[in-house]
Amino acid sequence: MTMTTSSLPSRFAWLDKGFWQTTPGPFRVGAIILIAHVLFAIAGAFWTPYGFAEMGAGLPLSGASLQHPMGLDQIGRDVFSRFMYGAHIVLLLSFAGTVLGMVAGTTLGLLSGYIGGWFDEITQRIVEAMISIPFLALALVMIIAAGPALAGEPVLIVFVVALVYAPRIARIARAAAMEIATREYVAVAELRGEGTWSIVFREILLNAANVLLVEFSLRLSYAPILIGALGFLGFGIRPPTPEWGLMISENRNLLIASPVTVFGPGLGLASLVIGFNLFTDGLSRMLGQRSVAGA
Amino acid sequence: MKKLIEVRNLNIAYAGPSGWTNVVQDVSFEIARGEAFGLVGESGCGKSTVAYRLLGYGTINSFVQTGEVLFDGVDLLKLGPASLTRLRGNRIALVPQNPTTSLSPGMRVGPQIREMIATHKALPDDTTMERRIVELFALVGLPDVGHRYPHELSGGQQQRVTIAMAVACNPDLLVLDEPTTGLDVTTQRQIIQLLSDLRARIGMAMLYVTHDLALLAQIANRVGVMYAGQLVEVAASDKLLSAPAHPYSRGLIASIPTMDGTDRQTRGLRGVLRRDQMSTGCKFEPRCDFATTACRTTPQALELIADARSVACMRWRDAATQQLPAVVAGPHGRTAARSERLLSVADLSLSYQRPSIVDKFLGRTTHSVVRDIDLELRAGEVVALVGESGSGKSTIARAISGRLPPRSGAITLEDGPLSPALDGRSAEHLRQIQYIFQNPDASLNPRSSIRSILERPLKHFGIPADGKTLETVLESVGLHAGYLDRIPDQLSGGERQRIAIARALLVNPKLLICDEILSALDVSVQARIVELLRSLKEKHDVAMLFISHDLAVVQQLADRVAVLYHGELMQMSETASLLTAPLHPYTEMLLEAAPSLRKDGHVSRPPATPTLKATPGIGCPFAGRCPRQPGSLCADTRPPIQETGSGFVRCHLPIDGLGRHARSPQHMRSPAVEDMRLQSL
Repeated sequence: MTMTTSSLPSRFAWLDKGFWQTTPGPFRVGAIILIAHVLFAIAGAFWTPYGFAEMGAGLPLSGASLQHPMGLDQIGRDVFSRFMYGAHIVLLLSFAGTVLGMVAGTTLGLLSGYIGGWFDEITQRIVEAMISIPFLALALVMIIAAGPALAGEPVLIVFVVALVYAPRIARIARAAAMEIATREYVAVAELRGEGTWSIVFREILLNAANVLLVEFSLRLSYAPILIGALGFLGFGIRPPTPEWGLMISENRNLLIASPVTVFGPGLGLASLVIGFNLFTDGLSRMLGQRSVAGA
Repeated sequence: MKKLIEVRNLNIAYAGPSGWTNVVQDVSFEIARGEAFGLVGESGCGKSTVAYRLLGYGTINSFVQTGEVLFDGVDLLKLGPASLTRLRGNRIALVPQNPTTSLSPGMRVGPQIREMIATHKALPDDTTMERRIVELFALVGLPDVGHRYPHELSGGQQQRVTIAMAVACNPDLLVLDEPTTGLDVTTQRQIIQLLSDLRARIGMAMLYVTHDLALLAQIANRVGVMYAGQLVEVAASDKLLSAPAHPYSRGLIASIPTMDGTDRQTRGLRGVLRRDQMSTGCKFEPRCDFATTACRTTPQALELIADARSVACMRWRDAATQQLPAVVAGPHGRTAARSERLLSVADLSLSYQRPSIVDKFLGRTTHSVVRDIDLELRAGEVVALVGESGSGKSTIARAISGRLPPRSGAITLEDGPLSPALDGRSAEHLRQIQYIFQNPDASLNPRSSIRSILERPLKHFGIPADGKTLETVLESVGLHAGYLDRIPDQLSGGERQRIAIARALLVNPKLLICDEILSALDVSVQARIVELLRSLKEKHDVAMLFISHDLAVVQQLADRVAVLYHGELMQMSETASLLTAPLHPYTEMLLEAAPSLRKDGHVSRPPATPTLKATPGIGCPFAGRCPRQPGSLCADTRPPIQETGSGFVRCHLPIDGLGRHARSPQHMRSPAVEDMRLQSL
């Protein structure tokens, strides 16, 4: 994203050790959890103990053992291998969806906040209408509207996440843009005769970056839940690709027979969301933002 | 006199990212009962920090290392929260800098004062709460405004309310933190007058914190000059102003623009207060003209040099004897006015409200903020626009720059008419008019480097530039190429304003609109920016529309002055003749209100006929306040424009009468202008 890369060199001082020590506790814990997730996901993408779709890796429903730390499912697939392989899918889908939503929402929100007037009115009414629909219902409607040909495609999931988030992000971006638009450096640019796009991206975007960065990581923390929920309902990634929500759904009737098969992906999702949340909380404190209220 | 409060060796440090910063070092002074002590210095010198300590108040990240603040023999720094609460407001009260943010906006002002009295159970036995509050309002020259909300009062009235609140419990000590900084000259004078008056009546002591020495000349008995957290000179205010001993006090006084006729070569202070560039010896050494090598290593402490006068400088004798460079008299660098007309504004009327379709249909007109402005600027000329806040100075500038399309009237630049709206102006027109804003913090994008801030206009207007261009322009505003890679946050206010000026100059404009560009800066910095503008005017031959409320600055810079009152031009005149013979009653009033460096005993006049209200758009808006108006004629008919030698005056009185006017007898305490505004509420 432009807003992170075009900052000045001094803003990359976070790589040194002294900086790490001054960061708030939640940020550190969150960052460690996230790094662990990323490493695990990278490893899982290249190597797993068994194939993620390999049936008969052991005795079905035999419970946890050293060979199969998360047990085996109904058709004898190693749950840990599936869990490992699924990690990068969750991360990639949430990241891609949120980035897309950020780009769309930020552009719309900043333009709407800066231009104001009728454009703002119309945009905001549409945005409000979209926010008023519960996010899962909105997502399901979109998936159904996309038709069976696209169902289960990762691209669709990315677009659904983006579309659910874009209106929410747009509102935050709009609020920031409205405030920044009153600053005099914007007036200076206007007096120079700069165009709308130039003002929005040169003068406003960078100054809204703090707010947007926090919003980005907040949205990122909710994305796994959304994707998981879609997977659980059977509208997510097409089986047998092991997405965590889908795995919980597949194994939920084994909850009594072999509970470990559900715990694995459940814990994975939970720790990922907690990690993101702590990270966001710390980040917003560091950037001097008030903590952002719920989804 | 008996000591009321004594500060002994106070040291305060603030925690920052790079460890502790010593904000206040070894400050000692005392205030006697009923005395007014002034604390003066540039921003960041620690004066407010000291003032708040007298209330026993410190921010969370500040930390008193050593010292005592003895109030009536009790050390405030050792008191617990409960006993402090009993003292604050009751025996020591604060008048804050900004009344708008200090009064609770959702509460009527009466109950806010009641709170104060009730908390401290300070109601005298023989009166009721209601009566006491009305009494307090009368004390500060307000009618009973208890049922009003803060936003219904003007800035001056709000400050009166906070003063009423502060004196509600008859405190022994009043701490004033720049109480008039945000106010107009005329209002400022009324507040100062009110304060001296209250002091005489109630007999409380005052600590007056300000950056404005001229104000202290009017109100304080003794003045302490602070620099970088240290007191460098303590003296009686008249002594300090007439014969400053410390080089810093000397520089500070030299930086103040005055209007006493002499055109001093202001030899202000060089550099700025930089906490990171302190020598181990005298803190002022890097900026001092008298510094020797010994100064750099020997710390200076306050020493008594005469009766009730101390200085922290080992070379004060040399500094005191060596006079400032000779005074240069007469106008200098004033470009002879040439006939080429650059900008002309004719019949300009402005309004922030756009008339709705219904209004247009019915032929109704809404109130204009600015009416009938005719203004002309010649090439290379500096015209100042002067008036109190709300007079429409900035509104006119907005219209000329194209940010506010006028309701009627025409603006012409050199060859042809300027389009009223920004969208309609050609790039060439946009380039020729450059606007510099009041607040340099807000006019530079905080996320861009100085380089990209300066490069952007060049690229936008397609002006060819090589590597040298930016360096040259930085040099012309007194900075160097090292600034290019910094971001605005790393610059001081004065440096930022220089960058803003450089940005405007880069594109070779014909007209610079300077909108109060000095008011956010320290006196010493102001003096240098004025110097800079003067040299730019000569070198670059650029015309300026200089908006200011400070007549002294205007006098140093402007060729002609336009005086504005409530959106109408009252007078247009050449600077010299305006200051020597003000002619218009309003101009006269403005000139009298500007504080000089001596105690001038100025008393502001009450509005002559507060009941007289001008017919909107027709009568003279100044009618009710004017001390010399001949009667209701002023309010009902349009004042004629009378040509004078160098401009015009808009007044009913004949010019001969205006010129020969003897000063009217000065009135005692005045509830002044604000009553008038109140009655019209």
